[in-house]
Amino acid sequence: MRRKLLFSLVAILIIAYGGLLAALITSSEPTLGLDLQGGISVTQQPIGDYDPVALDLAVDRIRDRVDSLGVSEPEIIRQGDAIVVNLPGVENQQEAIELVQVTGQVYLRPVMQCINEGVEEEPHDEAEEPHDEEEPHDTTAPASTAGGTSVPGDSAPDSTMTKSTAPDDTTAVIDTTPASDSTEGASGSGAQPPAGLRAPAAPSTTTASSTTSPATEPPTTAPATTASATGDTTATTVAPGTTIDPATVPPEPAPTETSVPVSDPNIEQILPLQGGGLCQVGPAGGKGDVFKNDANAGIIQADWGVTVGLRDGGAGLDVWNQLASQCFNGEPSCPSRRLAIELDGLIVSAPSVRQPSFTGEVQITGDFSEGDAKDLARVLRSGSLPLRMQTQSVQTVSPTLGSDSLRAAVISGVIGVLLVLIFMLFYYRMLALIIFVGVTVSSALLYGLVTLLSETSGLTLSLAGIAGVIVSVGVTVDSYVVFFERLKDEVRSGRTMRNSAQRGFAGAWRTILMADLVSLIGATVLWYLTVGSVRNFAFFLGLSTLIDLVIAYMFTRPAVLLLARTKFMARRRVMGIEAVQAAADSWTGTGPRPSTAGGMA
Amino acid sequence: MSSTIDERQITVEPSERALSERRGPGGRLYHGETAIDFYGRRWWGLAMSALLLVVTVLSLIFNGLNLGIDFEGGVAWEVPSAEVTEDEARAILRDNGVDDAGAKVQSLSSPETGPRLRLQVGDQPQEVVVAVQQGLATAAGVDISEVTSNSVSSSWGRSITEKAVRALVIFLVLVMLFISWRFEWRMALASIAAMVHDVVITVGVYSLLGFEVTPATVVAFLTILGFSLYDTIVVFDKVRENTVKFSSARAPYADTINVSMNQVLMRTLNTSLAAVLPVLSLLIIGSGILGAVALREFALALLVGLITGSYSSIFIAAPLLAMLHEREPKYRSLRGSHATGRELERLVLGGSPGGHRHESARTRRVDADAPVGTVVAAPPASPQSVLTHAPRPRKKKRR
Repeated sequence: MRRKLLFSLVAILIIAYGGLLAALITSSEPTLGLDLQGGISVTQQPIGDYDPVALDLAVDRIRDRVDSLGVSEPEIIRQGDAIVVNLPGVENQQEAIELVQVTGQVYLRPVMQCINEGVEEEPHDEAEEPHDEEEPHDTTAPASTAGGTSVPGDSAPDSTMTKSTAPDDTTAVIDTTPASDSTEGASGSGAQPPAGLRAPAAPSTTTASSTTSPATEPPTTAPATTASATGDTTATTVAPGTTIDPATVPPEPAPTETSVPVSDPNIEQILPLQGGGLCQVGPAGGKGDVFKNDANAGIIQADWGVTVGLRDGGAGLDVWNQLASQCFNGEPSCPSRRLAIELDGLIVSAPSVRQPSFTGEVQITGDFSEGDAKDLARVLRSGSLPLRMQTQSVQTVSPTLGSDSLRAAVISGVIGVLLVLIFMLFYYRMLALIIFVGVTVSSALLYGLVTLLSETSGLTLSLAGIAGVIVSVGVTVDSYVVFFERLKDEVRSGRTMRNSAQRGFAGAWRTILMADLVSLIGATVLWYLTVGSVRNFAFFLGLSTLIDLVIAYMFTRPAVLLLARTKFMARRRVMGIEAVQAAADSWTGTGPRPSTAGGMA
Repeated sequence: MSSTIDERQITVEPSERALSERRGPGGRLYHGETAIDFYGRRWWGLAMSALLLVVTVLSLIFNGLNLGIDFEGGVAWEVPSAEVTEDEARAILRDNGVDDAGAKVQSLSSPETGPRLRLQVGDQPQEVVVAVQQGLATAAGVDISEVTSNSVSSSWGRSITEKAVRALVIFLVLVMLFISWRFEWRMALASIAAMVHDVVITVGVYSLLGFEVTPATVVAFLTILGFSLYDTIVVFDKVRENTVKFSSARAPYADTINVSMNQVLMRTLNTSLAAVLPVLSLLIIGSGILGAVALREFALALLVGLITGSYSSIFIAAPLLAMLHEREPKYRSLRGSHATGRELERLVLGGSPGGHRHESARTRRVDADAPVGTVVAAPPASPQSVLTHAPRPRKKKRR
């Protein structure tokens, strides 16, 4: 018994202070919420019908974009069907909105050419790339805005790439902005080891007019990029408006200056290719809704691939076939014979077209891993029923207000807790020491947990959360009060200190458990059903209630029980109940209080 | 009621010094020896609360609640107002095609940020929001990032409100079920009533003072709700314990309630103080001295809520519980004969109700016979009249 108590006491002390120490040593701190740090919060919600997959993809895409922008500690939360994006430190509202404005729209765009595909995986590829790259430069004659009309000469792959990404001042079709970003994308992708997995991003598209055995040669890696030169000249001279099928091209808001690849389906653009590399793509020839919502990844001829059905009629099959025949024939609009599948500014895959016309089903094969194929299927499924996101709320919090609030909340919170402790000391005398230590243990535990959670699962501490913690001080202290009042009751009715401590805890524990369970129910319901600050509050309320339970059982119980065994505590004077005891003693002889008399006799 | 009190007082042995004479009121409170007849004074508390509720309802009817844009939807801009007057701001709104008739324009000031002007209008498209923001920035001669804007679409605002209400209803149902399962349905009903009472009164304070209801306010309301329930549960846990203890005797339920209330009084006061102190510190030091205005309304709502929360668990929940129980046949006949004064004192200190019934009957008889002033030592009547659980004799050896 005694050993168990000691063990529990030591364990909780080690856990709590160890956690605190670890947090201090690694100098990690809880992530502050938007309201304490300043920044912008944008909430979006889909309207109308959408594929649930699309929402996941949208979150992924937003995360990618925000990460590429280098916003520190962004918070992207899905709450029900709403996506909340908190961007601490961002001040420009317009920028923030564009950053998170994902359409979920999948575009099919003919590929002009691609460079640096899967750069990291095969170094020898890289050697070839600059070669490919010069050609577009000469032909498209990109009088970059910065460099005037001078045609960039041969240089190291990196520098050519940078220049090539700011092309086409003359034709004025490519925005400089996506270009500058694509540099970022390319250099960023260079750092990602897994990018190599996708390097052979040139799988082949084939039909399977219901049977899945078309003419597929084993996919050649990165084909057709070199052959694009001649076609390219013509391609750029073609006015951007003359898309293959203008009817299918949706109206898109005018592109604005951001450093994020904003997809504009009406013009020729350079967009990053998933897995590394950049592709110059033409105006969109079709949207994801040419496909049925049945894209599926599976084994096609011993390799992973994706099978997807085409919708019937003018909006599906016809659009697709028009595109396919253009690309198959290597027409000027699609010199590379590849068709890019683009989702929100990222080319997910750019397969070569192997067949001029398709009847009911499309197969995309290539050197896919299982994950790649499933990703592509996900994209196609979501694209067939695209998400229409609507911005529901945009909130700006000024950082000065935030830091002041934080400082004030912390200072006043600490003073408040000190006042409580002083009051407890006055009331419970020596027993208050247990409360002192208990409060530090639970604070250490809370701090450690919050730090850990904000490192691992992106929890942020907002003003509402701090409020929840401050209020929970009351509840935590109440656990002690309930216990100590019971302890006094037991001592008063004539039990020994040691006995009282045990019985007192048994009774108090039931009360504490019951009351805390109600709090936990409340916190859980709120956490599941609400959004925003209320949810944050609910989390902290639940967390501190749990900590309260743990501390009561693992710290307070052993501490008091062990203390009660000592001679020191047996004198009772130390805990502010000596007078009670004296009163009880004085009754024993006189008789008129039979209730206690019986006990003391 | 008064007749019963008188009757009881007759039965008091004159020689015995009352506890109340041995200690001052503070001392008795400190040692948990109070004997306050909460049940007998239940109408005071109920009447007081009824008055507050009426005031709240009137205020809600005439003042309404000042709902923030998070619930109604709309756009709010805040601009440093050293250079911008209200008229200029309204003109900017008009220039951008916003109807300025329904716009709320407020001057704010805080020590850190200086005077600021706050404009609030209904739902606007994003372009208009940015245009107005730009206009305000130009007028104030500051960078656009100094002008904050918050916009919430009205459909989103509605869905937020709906979600909160739905969460609340589910929460109430679950808590009702939980309390009914662990305690009894009457306690569930009484504690929910007390909780609603607390929230309504706090809402009333918001309505009276015209504070804006923001998500932080909702958080405060929820905290109150949780605290109120927590407090009531602790009180009811004691009531339940005493109900078991008293169940063998034919004691009125009011005795159970009174004894429990007196036994937990100190705990309730302590806990309330422990909960109120940090909030008070937040209010006075945080928002008063350090000037964090964001904390002020929040802390005020909490303060009001915590105080009513403690008040209601004793003055609303407990009397309601007693009244619900007295409808039971078991207690109905005993209604109106609850112990007060000395009797109550004895019960609070751990006496058993069974003994007390027999004793008082016996004492009354003795009183009739014996001359006044004789000390009557009542013999221990039954095992129940002593401790329900006698202290175990100390074992010689440690376990």
